[in-house]
Amino acid sequence: MADVILQAKNLVKRFPAGRSGSFVNAVNGVDLTIRRGEVLGMVGESGSGKSTIGRTILRLTNPTEGQISFDGKDITKLADKAVRPLRKDMQMVFQDPWSALNPRMKIGDLIAEPLRIHLNMSRSECRDRTEMLARRVGLSTNFLNRTPSALSGGQLQRVCIARAIATNPKLIVLDEPTSSLDLSVRAGILELLQELRAKTEAGFLFISHDLGTIKLISDRIAVLYLGRIVEEVPKYKLFSEPSHPYSQSLLSAHLPSDPNVPLQRMALQGEIPSPINPPSGCSFHTRCPVAVAECKRIQPLPEKISADHLARCLRLKDGKNIIPRDQK
Amino acid sequence: MSLLSVKDLQTHFIFHDIDNQLREARALNNVNLSLDAGQILGIVGETGAGKSLTAQSICGLLRPPARIVGGSVVFDGRELLTLPEEELNNIRGADIAMVVQNPRSSLDPLTRIGEQLVRIHQTHTSGPLDGSRQKAMEMMQAVGIPDPQRRFTAWPHELSGGMAQRVLIAMALMNEPKLLIADEPTTGLDVTVQAQILDLLKELVARFDMASMIITHDLGIVAHYCDQVAVMFAGEIVEQGTLRDVFLQPAHPYTQQLLASTPERIKLGAETPLGGQPPDLFNLPVGCLSQDRCPLATDICRTSPPMVNLSIDHSARCHFANPNNKTAKSKGKKNG
Amino acid sequence: MNSTHSDQVSLATRIGNRLRGISRLSPTATAGVVIILLFGILALFSDLFMTHDPVSSYPDRILQAPSAQHWFGTDGNGMDVFSRVIYGAKFGFGIAIPAVIIAVIIGVPVGLVAGYRGGILDEVLMRIFDGLRVFPSIILALAVVAATGQSLINVVLVLGFLDSPVFARLVRAEVLALRSSIFVESAVAVGNPTWRILFLHLLPNSIQGAMAQTAVRAAWAVRISATLAFLGVGIQAPTPEWGAMIRQGAEFMVTGQWWVAIFPGLALIFLVFGLNLFGDGIQDILDPRRRASK
Repeated sequence: MADVILQAKNLVKRFPAGRSGSFVNAVNGVDLTIRRGEVLGMVGESGSGKSTIGRTILRLTNPTEGQISFDGKDITKLADKAVRPLRKDMQMVFQDPWSALNPRMKIGDLIAEPLRIHLNMSRSECRDRTEMLARRVGLSTNFLNRTPSALSGGQLQRVCIARAIATNPKLIVLDEPTSSLDLSVRAGILELLQELRAKTEAGFLFISHDLGTIKLISDRIAVLYLGRIVEEVPKYKLFSEPSHPYSQSLLSAHLPSDPNVPLQRMALQGEIPSPINPPSGCSFHTRCPVAVAECKRIQPLPEKISADHLARCLRLKDGKNIIPRDQK
Repeated sequence: MSLLSVKDLQTHFIFHDIDNQLREARALNNVNLSLDAGQILGIVGETGAGKSLTAQSICGLLRPPARIVGGSVVFDGRELLTLPEEELNNIRGADIAMVVQNPRSSLDPLTRIGEQLVRIHQTHTSGPLDGSRQKAMEMMQAVGIPDPQRRFTAWPHELSGGMAQRVLIAMALMNEPKLLIADEPTTGLDVTVQAQILDLLKELVARFDMASMIITHDLGIVAHYCDQVAVMFAGEIVEQGTLRDVFLQPAHPYTQQLLASTPERIKLGAETPLGGQPPDLFNLPVGCLSQDRCPLATDICRTSPPMVNLSIDHSARCHFANPNNKTAKSKGKKNG
Repeated sequence: MNSTHSDQVSLATRIGNRLRGISRLSPTATAGVVIILLFGILALFSDLFMTHDPVSSYPDRILQAPSAQHWFGTDGNGMDVFSRVIYGAKFGFGIAIPAVIIAVIIGVPVGLVAGYRGGILDEVLMRIFDGLRVFPSIILALAVVAATGQSLINVVLVLGFLDSPVFARLVRAEVLALRSSIFVESAVAVGNPTWRILFLHLLPNSIQGAMAQTAVRAAWAVRISATLAFLGVGIQAPTPEWGAMIRQGAEFMVTGQWWVAIFPGLALIFLVFGLNLFGDGIQDILDPRRRASK
């Protein structure tokens, strides 16, 4: 297990919801392993808890229950002061580059910040390193003296990436890094991430709601629904043999840009239930086309379909987890 | 004669800046569209392309500093641009209806949804309240809102995103419009809900024999729900035609790049075309507006390209308009 | 306001640019700046403008009306009122500016910490500061200065301290809004210690409201110090401070020698007016909503 950079066991996160004493059950028992040099993609819709998981494993918010170990060390209960130096090795790229950067700081200073904080570099060393980082992410050094308002979305996201890789971290969490960007800009950012991933030995957690993007960049994919991982699988298998009914319907809802590709819609009924009041048993049973009475009562445990493939579905046993093709 | 015929529409932003200088930006330039009943036109483009502005110009919903400075919009035989505001009001919400993104911010938070449906019907008829209520129930049924009787008295904040969008669609349909404009109707909704809403729209367009315009940046939506496409960039339509023509035989480099940028077509590590910055409407290049980010740009591109007709229904605004120019495979300019 | 990438541009040029920007955006602020600059020049270069030595008395010219020789007349000690008014500008600035600086130095960090940390610390600090604001400042100032001695420094310190709650409140309000924004979260994620978050990230983004208030608070400081002097606390005659001069001149009003009190009074009003105009104008510039309504 020497190459495991992050391991989370039974992660739970609950937020108080208003004054009524109820809670938002954002994360409901998630086990996660991220290895060096690997991209774990997390895909899910609203209420899936994917963003919360990203923040929790970086200790930007504290888990309600569960255990997080980073680079072999248990960081679950560490005080904030003790977590701070660890941030040299664990970084985050946020979804909205316009809000993620201090509007009154210069780009150069923003990129150099982690260097000043963690590496105690002199001014000139910092400057050299910042220029190198800017070049590495494809950003013109002319921008280093400007403030964020002068740059476009794609350029700003490159700044955020430069900031995240500045100290050569071992773990990088990316929360929907391309969702706010225009289509033609996304390709560039994904290209950049692919390059970085080849050159560093870091582990990546890539969070997105878009299957197309996840497919492109991930090695393994975890599918989330209402705070639980319902399927975890190597990338190619998700698209060829999705096991969980939710994964299947998610895939079928994806709209390819080629009009010739026929849609095989499995039209799900209803909407995602609220995480404040999740359904009993298997949380997907309210919309699942192959649900049976049992599914309402029992919360399925993860089952190994093969060495690297697991899913939570009661119907795996009798092989009825595949939604029939003709079901529209 | 087409139901909607937009010719040479020009919309500019005109205002005085901080130094009291007069600034004018060409936000829409020579937009030409036509639409018939039963057709679904997809208007696709990135941020700043002018898609929403086109819809707003057609409906007369522009606010200063935006202003229509030229062109014509003929709807159902009438020129909308010269119509007095009163008459436009009769058409808006009745013959032309619009559905927008962020449905919850379009609903009046202080009025129950049934009431809002009734209200919009009452604005355009002089019939009795009961008739409107009846119609509202029918519409809620038609858009797939379960248990309409109970939901009639629901407040907007009690609705989920998908439900709210259905209410907006119901509102749009209350007066049986001839033209339905949907501006990013599923942005922000979950993928599984998106599917439901789009299927619903397609079915309703057929059922009520409406002309429909879907504005989106999502090529997948266009590919499966539209039969006509117009691709916009920097306020111009750079390519338009039938879905199959534009998506399967794109002739304009921008369209080709856009299609090649979708996740399923990107091959990471291969030479992919990379995008540029959104165009600065105050600093547009002379000649072709996309020359700064086009791998095929040469000197001739400094003159405005003509709209080249590739077939009866397919045209592209480019000196090199050709489905075979294979921009997708050539080196792109690294930017943005 | 837009930040400029101007670390290479000299300070003077930047000030020049800002002034030009202000004059374009608000006539109110421009008028204010002109008045303040006028008094500033008088304060700095008083030697050039004074006709006589402000503390020399001419015993043979007591209570003379304004004339060609003594433009504002002479006071009860035979001193030239005009020169004393000019010299008094030094006190106007000499008190107001340090007082505001002290208020900012105390108030802004308190506002930052209270806003960011929240909780009990916030409650306690804000209650203390609220208490300060509610208490009539004149009385408090009188008490403190009377207790600690009649010196200029004490007056400045007391004024600064009394005025800090305003700045604390303004900064705290902005910080409360900003502390849950993404760029702050991003700053935490990068590993910033709390002091960097407060001073490098929150401070530059929450200081605008406070900055706009500085001119207004300076005006307050000028008024209060003059009032204190008038009440016989703080600065005393023969120091040519406007408040003290008004105090001295008040008794002559009844007997018809109006110039002794009126001229320093006008100077006081004018400077306070200028400071208020400037503060008002700056708020117009910084808050687009106010600008639109004008």
